[in-house]
Amino acid sequence: MDPTTLMAVMCSVVVFAGWLILPHSATTLKPVVVEEREPVQVSA
Amino acid sequence: MRIDSGDTAWVLASAALVMLMTPALGFFYGGLVRRKNVLSTIMHSFFILCLISVQWVLWGYSLAFGPDKFHIIGGLEWIGLNNVGFTPNADYAPTIPHQAFMLFQMMFAVITPALISGAFAERQRFKAFVLFSLLWATFVYDPIAHWVWGAGGWLHQLGALDFAGGTVVHISSGVSALVAALVLGRRLGFGKQKVEPHDATMTVLGAALLWFGWFGFNAGSALGAGALATNAFVVTNTAAAMAALTWMTVSWWHKKQPSVIGAAAGAVAGLVAITPASGFVNVMGAIVIGFGAGVACYLAIQLRERIKVDDALDVWAVHGIGGTWGALATGLFATVAINSAAANGLFYGNPKQALIQLVAIGAAWGWSIIGTFVILKIVNLFVPLRVQEDEEVIGLDLSQHGEPAYASIHAN
Repeated sequence: MDPTTLMAVMCSVVVFAGWLILPHSATTLKPVVVEEREPVQVSA
Repeated sequence: MRIDSGDTAWVLASAALVMLMTPALGFFYGGLVRRKNVLSTIMHSFFILCLISVQWVLWGYSLAFGPDKFHIIGGLEWIGLNNVGFTPNADYAPTIPHQAFMLFQMMFAVITPALISGAFAERQRFKAFVLFSLLWATFVYDPIAHWVWGAGGWLHQLGALDFAGGTVVHISSGVSALVAALVLGRRLGFGKQKVEPHDATMTVLGAALLWFGWFGFNAGSALGAGALATNAFVVTNTAAAMAALTWMTVSWWHKKQPSVIGAAAGAVAGLVAITPASGFVNVMGAIVIGFGAGVACYLAIQLRERIKVDDALDVWAVHGIGGTWGALATGLFATVAINSAAANGLFYGNPKQALIQLVAIGAAWGWSIIGTFVILKIVNLFVPLRVQEDEEVIGLDLSQHGEPAYASIHAN
């Protein structure tokens, strides 16, 4: 195996392994929702 | 010399693909700024498409690719496309009309100053931007393009490898962006209030269109429709994907979540880094280059934040550092098995190529720093570089162009 291929394999292992083992931390704060439009006035 | 219809068709199509990258860059940047500045940011890219298209046919192409003068600049013999006709030019592209080559190169000249605009987003006066872009294209881009790509250019003669513009396009724009950010100073409230991208979807769409256009940028630089273009296409896609995966992994490890904007920025970093190497490295080399780009550019952003430089859209980190890594990596991973007309790199038994690449990198950094600094100071003598504080507060869309991007929303 030439040095370039060896390095490519190592890089790929790092990335794919990272995706498998990294813990995920969910955002628990409720996002602030900004109402950007005026409510539509509907006449009876 | 006989014109090859297949090569000509591919180069013309590639020119159109690269043209699309400039408005795509506008959307990539536009999504990252606040909504009060989105139109002005998109306008930077769109305006430069118009400005440099005219500059290029009038004098830019002649300075960059015209008959060599002292190995540093092209002559004025080709001003106004004089002597640039349909007969192929053997020095540059022997199978396509000379004007097709000129057109393809025009799109590179267009996007390069547009890249810099991300550094001074949200605070530069439009008139100053116009003057700066015109002077920068003439006195920074055109000479560097001649050094590296022009027949007789000194870096070209030295043997520097830059297939599609890692040195000419990305180092020059990325380093100039850093200088521009330092000279203009920080945006109001920088470091005190959080500046969130106003539309991440726009940014991801812009990145996707950039990726699409980059196939023309790199594979088109083969200047023919054949094996070399195919290799460039394959390694371009591979490096972009690997860099995006790497950036997401690093950001996931660092910030505990995989960032969507990070994925887009990572893909762009990979595209930048593979640009100089795309005609010289194989797909394994592309994976290493993509990985290196994802790590290096992410770290560069952390450094930029730590030293509190307001390069608003991280042009230096992505293009300056990505381009530098790509140019160096070309000297490491290039192989004549891909391009027999080039040279091997360090890992294929030719350490000298890495040294030549370092010389080219140093020259591009040096000229970009000096040229950009001087041009900004000269422009500032005639037009203030920054808008006034109240103009910055209401946003550049209204203060510079009199148009809001979104009719019902004016603030932030």
